[in-house]
Amino acid sequence: MIGHRLANLAILGLAAAICYGMQTSKPHYADLTGPIPVRGGMGDDVKARLFQLRVDKVEFAKILAVSEFGKDRTLTTGGIWAIVTVELAATNSTTTVSEATWQGPTGLGYRETERLAMVSGLPPFTVEPGLPARGRFVFEVPPSEISGATLLVSNERAFALDSQARITLDGLRLKPDGTPEMVADIYDMDEPIQ
Amino acid sequence: MSAGAAVSTGAAEIGQSERRWRRRSLWALLILLPATLALGSYTPVKWLFAAKDLFPRDVEPGSTVRFGGSDWKLEAMLTTKDTGSVKLPENAVPVFVDFSVTIGDPDLQKLWTGCRITLADAAGRSWLPTSLPILRYSDDWSDCNSATFSGAAAGATLKIREAFVVPKDAIPTIEPTLGLGSERPYYLRFLRARD
Repeated sequence: MIGHRLANLAILGLAAAICYGMQTSKPHYADLTGPIPVRGGMGDDVKARLFQLRVDKVEFAKILAVSEFGKDRTLTTGGIWAIVTVELAATNSTTTVSEATWQGPTGLGYRETERLAMVSGLPPFTVEPGLPARGRFVFEVPPSEISGATLLVSNERAFALDSQARITLDGLRLKPDGTPEMVADIYDMDEPIQ
Repeated sequence: MSAGAAVSTGAAEIGQSERRWRRRSLWALLILLPATLALGSYTPVKWLFAAKDLFPRDVEPGSTVRFGGSDWKLEAMLTTKDTGSVKLPENAVPVFVDFSVTIGDPDLQKLWTGCRITLADAAGRSWLPTSLPILRYSDDWSDCNSATFSGAAAGATLKIREAFVVPKDAIPTIEPTLGLGSERPYYLRFLRARD
């Protein structure tokens, strides 16, 4: 009888231990439904579920020059402007790519700037299958967040069970202190995308 | 002695009825688990079916089909060399898709919401109407979504035109499709005449 009771207790203890183990080890719901990363480097064609993306170049500038509603405007920044030129295409059906984040080496994420309102060639991009198009993502980042950065691109800001292109910005030309070699004084956003 | 016997008989009886209930419960699981799954997925599946064009209904070239309460006919699929001020990429071709629709049930706002016209090619790619302004504004033509809110009366005939930009290599196999909120998950696929 005592043996029986002990066995029961042992089973109960084991069950509790298994439950606890599962609770602590299982991925969080947000991780289970979170972005599915598709990785690549600069110049690679990175294939997400609905779109394909290639980062062609990254340029840096101290000031952005834009013309909005016929008025010229310059935008300064406490950090540095990073302008990422990409080629985008849809895989199977017309889609919209609207979200990009500059993720620095420390894990800090910088979303695309919202300071440019009426400039063409900026997201959201409507892309069609078989018709690759070029576009620009513009970020405002501290110089210390440039070396070892990753570009995260997805269709939307909030999504579940969908892919996210994660491009390691490995082709940047940097000084030994990790800041870019070339920083333009002024970058003209009205210039056509090259 | 007799008391001990009674106790043991009682225990045996409890054990037996317990076992019977355990067995019933296990059998019940066979029904309850699938039932829970079905109940839980009913609403999401219903939403999925209401939101997606999943099952095509083929329409023979030149024929008229009742869809969303009205009679749809694919009049033409055309291209143009003149895209006005819009400069298209080298391998891109503009395509216009023209329908004439005779209104049957005039409650278009209920029947036609979520109107979606696409071009689909044999490789499984599909294109939505372009946002490029290659379509001139005209009183004769409207696109599907503005037609939905046009207040057209029963018996009226609407001309619906959508403009697309597709790559050259898709031209030989593209076919127009039409999806309407009230008809989903079914949609129309307008077959091309075989030459």
